[in-house]
Amino acid sequence: MRRKAAVVAVIKLSSLKAERLLRNFTTQAGPSIGAGQTTSSIRASKLNSLGALSGAALVLPGLISPLAHAAEGDEVDFQYSHYQEGKREIQISIENPETGGNDFPKVKNSNPIEVESLHGSSRISLTDHIKFSFNYIQDTWGGATPISTAPSAYGGNDATTDASGNTITGASPYVQTPNGNSLFFSKNLKPYVLSINPNSFEEKLTRSKRLTHILSTASPETRKQGDFKLSYDWDEFALNVGGGISVEDDYESRFGNIGARWDFNHKQTTVNADLSYTNSDTNAILDHDLVTYIENDKYYLDHVLTTLSETGEPQYASYGNLVGNRQDWSTHLGINQILNKSALVGADFNYTRSTGYLGNPYKLTEVFFVDPDSFGDAGFPNRATPRTAAFLERRPDVRNQWQLGGRFVQYVETLDAALHFDYHFSADDWGVQAHTFEADWVQPISDSGWTVTPKIRYYSQDQADFYVPFLVSGQAYSKDVFDGLGRQVFAGSDGKDYFRDPNTFLIVDAQGNPRPDSVSLEKKVNLYDPKKLPSHFSSDQRLSGFGTLSGGVTVAKQFAKGLTLETGFEYYTHQGALKLGGGGEQPYADFDFWVANAALKVNLDTISSNHSSVSGHTGHSHHVHGGHAPAGVLFDHMLPEAGDFMVGYRYMWNSQGGPMLHGADRVTDPAIVANGCGGDQCYLTPDSMAMHMHMLDLMYAPANWLTLMLMPQWMDMDMALREPIGSPEGGLPGNVGGHLNHHTQNNHQTGGIGDLGMYALFKLFDNNTHHFHVTAGLSAPTGDVDIQFRGNHQIAGGFQHYGMQLGSGTWDFKPSVTYTGHLDDWSWGAQANGIVRMENNNESGYRLGDLFQATAWGGYAINNWLSASLRGVYTVQGRLQGQYPNSNNQFQDPDTSEYSSILKFGPMDYPQNYGGRYWDIGFGLSAMVPSGDLAGNRVSVEWLQPVEDDVNGYQLERDGALSATWSVAF
Amino acid sequence: MKLLMKLAKSIAITLAILLTACAPVQPWERGNLAKPQMALDPYPLQSALRAHNYGSREAAAGGNAAQGGGCGCY
Repeated sequence: MRRKAAVVAVIKLSSLKAERLLRNFTTQAGPSIGAGQTTSSIRASKLNSLGALSGAALVLPGLISPLAHAAEGDEVDFQYSHYQEGKREIQISIENPETGGNDFPKVKNSNPIEVESLHGSSRISLTDHIKFSFNYIQDTWGGATPISTAPSAYGGNDATTDASGNTITGASPYVQTPNGNSLFFSKNLKPYVLSINPNSFEEKLTRSKRLTHILSTASPETRKQGDFKLSYDWDEFALNVGGGISVEDDYESRFGNIGARWDFNHKQTTVNADLSYTNSDTNAILDHDLVTYIENDKYYLDHVLTTLSETGEPQYASYGNLVGNRQDWSTHLGINQILNKSALVGADFNYTRSTGYLGNPYKLTEVFFVDPDSFGDAGFPNRATPRTAAFLERRPDVRNQWQLGGRFVQYVETLDAALHFDYHFSADDWGVQAHTFEADWVQPISDSGWTVTPKIRYYSQDQADFYVPFLVSGQAYSKDVFDGLGRQVFAGSDGKDYFRDPNTFLIVDAQGNPRPDSVSLEKKVNLYDPKKLPSHFSSDQRLSGFGTLSGGVTVAKQFAKGLTLETGFEYYTHQGALKLGGGGEQPYADFDFWVANAALKVNLDTISSNHSSVSGHTGHSHHVHGGHAPAGVLFDHMLPEAGDFMVGYRYMWNSQGGPMLHGADRVTDPAIVANGCGGDQCYLTPDSMAMHMHMLDLMYAPANWLTLMLMPQWMDMDMALREPIGSPEGGLPGNVGGHLNHHTQNNHQTGGIGDLGMYALFKLFDNNTHHFHVTAGLSAPTGDVDIQFRGNHQIAGGFQHYGMQLGSGTWDFKPSVTYTGHLDDWSWGAQANGIVRMENNNESGYRLGDLFQATAWGGYAINNWLSASLRGVYTVQGRLQGQYPNSNNQFQDPDTSEYSSILKFGPMDYPQNYGGRYWDIGFGLSAMVPSGDLAGNRVSVEWLQPVEDDVNGYQLERDGALSATWSVAF
Repeated sequence: MKLLMKLAKSIAITLAILLTACAPVQPWERGNLAKPQMALDPYPLQSALRAHNYGSREAAAGGNAAQGGGCGCY
């Protein structure tokens, strides 16, 4: 009893304080809420008072320290971002037809790196003390990236033409044998370039000081990461534990962390401590176009576990699999302190220890071997032609990094703004010391809900001790072996050594017996001495000395109902010349990028307080009744009343991994080879394909009879190909055969923003049991339809398969009619919907087939929060019309020798193999939180089980499709 | 390393002075501190994205490094 009384007293005390605080707060903020007003009337005046309330709640003792992390309420956030690198300037090698020598003009690489990222996160309170947060991140990147660096006269970048006729570089990097070598070395191992005077044809050697990156292009790849954090909050102490996994084709890391927070000194001081551990595996399939030119030394062999040769054609059949494991332990200690009524200060210390394979499997270092005995060859006593070898970079297998930093946050009363300033110093035992300065100015625009935040950042780092743009080694790459008698030594196929007499050219064994005819010979050579190379080296630009300057602005708008829209833009420039104290890398390594992002944040606390504050409002009764259709049905419901909002997230996954079908029948490999590719023979056939779609459902009802809907979506796709039994041997023109490996050794991946849907739903009839509405929709072609494979083997890779593009490329009309009904615990409905392409073809010369779908379902509410549904679906989609430009021929035009814009290896590359008729049955579950803070949140899933496929042409059978949705209306 | 120790020392000293020097700020005086613009990180979503971008382009440790993020091998 006594304890209870004490609790009541504390509550009274805090509510008294709360009132005082509220008064204090609101008179400061200035809205028209008098001290005499009751709390219920404050609640009624929504936005300002809500802000004030939550502000007051924040400063209540015993609730939350202002030093704890920013957003503490329940929230669901979505963020999209686009990273776009500028075109890097590189030097390419072009033969000068007049002189026969080489020119090295500067060009802009036309295919810079792009990254499309999607981030979804949610943070919910499981109980008063336990919070759970979850993040999902995926990014898809592709484009050209530096793999090594060399003097420009080396000629490492070839110029190739892509499918659209643009000159691209990096399609085929030359890392070992240059394309026309004009590079020579002097006796003191300095690079010189040979130029030929076009008039006199006089040769001239000049010191070659300019360097260039050698670029290689990557087909798109996707990374996915999921992580969680569980935290337990006491009043002044919090513990958290988290973990996650990040998966990409060639890299997987798993991580876990624990942390604690302690508020003390009347919550004026907060101390944080974290410990985290990451274990990562590299499993990189080295580029088969490149791998045969990578130096096959011991380091390489130690890391390349498998060297496969399975197709029998060795020029493109060998590739290596580079595996490695690394572990990172990281600690973080932080302290934050309230300085006074308007300033905070903080300090951080981090220590990270990394061990294992810390390299980047795709970065090479060029080593120029200059044989001291080769000076004087061809009558030039002062110059030597180097033998080049490309080595995988070698980093130390231990790295210790420290970081120290501080921050200062100052409130600026006159402008109601805040200045944030951060500085970090970081150092490691690789010799990299770095400084980071960052400043933000967070400026709310009066009470409008807008906040504008300009920010600026400067970063500078020293180069790592072992960073080199390239290496020169004053020794021969290989030397022929001679015995004491001056005879050249050969290894015989019988295991014995043989010797060639320099005068008679007779080849004999050690006993002087002539070589039998059956024995073949290979000359013996002594390779370079690896001890004369540095033990560690890397040409990765990230380990060079440079500075970066970036700046941007973030604009956020908070809407009345707990929604915040946040957009940001940042420009970033990396320059050697920006390094603190000078001495940074040459301008060849400079590059820039910009990042734009947009985020939608849904504050569930505000939404639920809206719910509870509007007592007697019947408009949200549809949450309780089973009026919702299964998760796979779009446009199934309208918002009941003018002014209502709904935010939802929708995930769809569908998978094709069954046997190949022709029409409705299974088909054998030889039949695919013979008939799947029109008049051509198929070299490859699809093995599996998966598509993931992430969609946002944003709904708003301007009137009772009208609901508007905006639906941005993100796609990512993954496809595996295989060689069908009986696929033709050879017969591929030019270097096309080299591409076969690229198609089978890695899955194909694409990803990024898809088409944007805009819909209007019109209510036709509603009597609380039966509901009828029509939807008119428009889909804007925001998804890419021109994604290409990387070039290799000196040919552009060409377009990806039609089904791997991210959008339709056309403006599409998407009408539907929907009927739903419910009575007691039962609900049912039916819908007919379609897609009509409104253009003849998209920018890539084709259009997807029109689509019609009819579906009907029934549902039953098992209890007050869970319902189940059963559904039938029929879908028909027409075949794909048109085709990629210049793609009449399978690979190459026999007359002009020009390559087709899509290398048509298999059925997925032919328009006639798209579309079909499909029957499915759907099993669904839908749960809605009936009460509590998260009341009104709905989660639904549905599995669509294919019943029958009748495909156009030759296609994979479907495995099924999963839909999952979350939504909350308010 | 020396520089680091020096820096650590000076930061520790500054902090100690600050901690002892600051007058207590009563809870009801924390209205400004509780404003969203005064949050230590006003845009955590964006910060995560930026940290990932910087981390794949720069050699310095990005704070709590071992939190996933992938290879960044481009």
